Amino acid sequence: MKPLIRLFTTACLLGLVIAANAGVKDSLHNLSTSGPGSVKATSADRVCEFCHISHSASSTGSLWSRRSSSSTYIPYSSTTSVAQPGQPTGTSVLCLSCHDGTIALGEILNQAPAHSMAGGNSTMPPGKSNQGTDLSDDHPVSFEYSSILASQNGELAMPGTFSQALPLDPNGELQCTTCHDPHDSPFDKLLRMSNMGAQICVECHLKTGWSQTSHGQSVATWNGQNPNPWSNSPYTTVADNACESCHIPHAVAGGPRLLLHAAEEDNCADCHNGNVAADDIMAEIDKFSSHRVSDTTLVHDAVEPAVVDLRHVECADCHDPHATRAGRAPGDTPANVRGVNISGAEINAAVHTYEICLRCHGDSPNQPLARTPRQHDQSNMRLKIQPSNPSFHPIASTGRNSDVPSLITPLTESSLVGCTDCHNSNSAPTVGGFGAEGPHGSSFEPILARNYVTVDNTTESASNYALCYSCHSRNSILGDDSFKEHDKHIRGEDTPCNACHDPHGVSSTQGNSINNSHLINFDTSIVFPNSNGDLRFIDEGNRSGSCDLDCHGKDHDDKNY
Amino acid sequence: MFKKVVGLLTVVVTGLFLSSGALAQGISGSAHDFSGDVWNTSGELCIVCHTPHNADATVADAPLWNHEVTTATFTVYSGPGTLDATVGQPSGVSKLCLSCHDGTVAVDNFGGTTTGTSFVGGADLVGIDLSNDHPISLTYDAALATTDGGLNNPTSTNSGLGGTITADLLFSNSLECGSCHDVHDTAGNSKLLRLDNAGSALCSTCHNK
Repeated sequence: MKPLIRLFTTACLLGLVIAANAGVKDSLHNLSTSGPGSVKATSADRVCEFCHISHSASSTGSLWSRRSSSSTYIPYSSTTSVAQPGQPTGTSVLCLSCHDGTIALGEILNQAPAHSMAGGNSTMPPGKSNQGTDLSDDHPVSFEYSSILASQNGELAMPGTFSQALPLDPNGELQCTTCHDPHDSPFDKLLRMSNMGAQICVECHLKTGWSQTSHGQSVATWNGQNPNPWSNSPYTTVADNACESCHIPHAVAGGPRLLLHAAEEDNCADCHNGNVAADDIMAEIDKFSSHRVSDTTLVHDAVEPAVVDLRHVECADCHDPHATRAGRAPGDTPANVRGVNISGAEINAAVHTYEICLRCHGDSPNQPLARTPRQHDQSNMRLKIQPSNPSFHPIASTGRNSDVPSLITPLTESSLVGCTDCHNSNSAPTVGGFGAEGPHGSSFEPILARNYVTVDNTTESASNYALCYSCHSRNSILGDDSFKEHDKHIRGEDTPCNACHDPHGVSSTQGNSINNSHLINFDTSIVFPNSNGDLRFIDEGNRSGSCDLDCHGKDHDDKNY
Repeated sequence: MFKKVVGLLTVVVTGLFLSSGALAQGISGSAHDFSGDVWNTSGELCIVCHTPHNADATVADAPLWNHEVTTATFTVYSGPGTLDATVGQPSGVSKLCLSCHDGTVAVDNFGGTTTGTSFVGGADLVGIDLSNDHPISLTYDAALATTDGGLNNPTSTNSGLGGTITADLLFSNSLECGSCHDVHDTAGNSKLLRLDNAGSALCSTCHNK
């Protein structure tokens, strides 16, 4: 045969073979010399043989050519996982005969020696393709995906209802091959479907709220500032990365629940650091006073009690990343987050924002001491805002006082306020800033939207008590509309609001409607008993009352107004 | 025009296969050449399997058969639940192969002899448990290819030998030992394969993975 004709023939033959067999031969699973990847044989040229042989095959799989690993695996587990996978079974065993890194890639049944592999590799080189024998950081496999499992989990599609492109094995078990096609696919990572927009994940995982969530819909992109939030993915928007913005089915040194990062907040920070999402939440967290999510790692648990016992704060304590919505108005309750209602009962999901706050700031044990020592010390905010209390800021119900002349329109005595009206970022848009809304952090402690000075001998100014003045007219207060001696105390004596008023409320278990109306609960580091040993306010109705106390050296003995 | 090009190409390609790298061509000198074995007293090449007269016709389509035929009952391949074909007991030409390769009948049981003592062993011994061997005696037609999704249509796919899979590799639409193996070793490929399996070319003739 003439060289030219031979060349032509060879080219044609090659063309025919490729056209007819685009598939495993062009995939990373072609470990023969013709394979496209770096993990390949030095001389073995038969593609199928690395997994299949025609005779005397192993019964572990379809004419299987490999021995199974004798490894004992650490299966996936989590506190929220209903499935309790044991040791790998079915096709997962077959996959692991290469992908656990314990068996030489070129080792074929009934053949010796093993095929030698290029690059000095014998077993699967370390990296994403080598799952090792610790499968606790890999999506669970080899468990029966039953209707019982799906209903117990509550957020899983019933078997048979998700795409047939994602097959369970003949025993109804989910295996590696449910998501991956070992014989190649047009999609990344030999996936059976494109996972753009987490199409594969959401076939099974029906997360409550996901269809409306910004995490599944946002077209925001990365601004290029490191770290790259999507280094594991070919996709460039939040919506396209979807689940894989936070979770990776085969985590390498990641966190629990297949999270990319071990420290919970780092999974959020990748995008909420100003590089993807519009708001830089991490900048808020870094402020002087904040919900310091970096203080604890692996303490938060999705199944922890609604009333948090091991005190901590993570983003997920207040937000459900599967349900969080874009365009939430300031003060709107985060979606699908557990809470504790005003009666102390768990509520799922919280209807009011304060119910989320009460997880930690209500009955939660081991709370720090109140910031201000008072006649009636109380750090349980649930008790302080009870509608039955002698006085309280109207958070869970409208207030008791029908005569509050200082309220700035449109506020009235029947208005409600939320925790986040006071506890908010000092750069939130609602206080005229350009930062993120919400009580993530503030330059004013304790995470206050505006300045609220509590130290004695403070010179009155609009800014020093800006927090109070945002609802209670400074003119009205200093004009003595309600308490006739306000100006004398605040400007005349430089006494802070906090010296007499306990802003959240006074619990009915401690105070009473005579002595503790109008949020009166004296700061005992400023206000002392008088010469008679008495320390009390007495409500005498209709903007009048009397005090027995000693303050700034002034002895008040039944001092009326 | 297309037909002519394909025809030309086929001739050229076939020529390429026939002219390249053959170890041995034809049964003489192949693994099935028993002319030199001590038990083959006549020294004849064909006699171990064939006879021109008084042949055993109990197996349909058996070509002038001269070797004792196995009576074993076989465990057939069933696969791990992914097999779409229906696999029956070995039939036709496969049973003839298994009359040596199942290990129940001696290689030298031919021409009426039933007291032979030479049995196949090692990798040549397939045994009566065929559950770990590629399934045989199954109908491989266009319908199966459609159902399976991972098989080429045998009626329209080139076998690599000039015609379609159905024409060149199947026996009345049935896949048998002879679909992959050429007992007479025409091509001289290793393991008497009909087509050199470099790059798993033989596997991928049918399997579209």
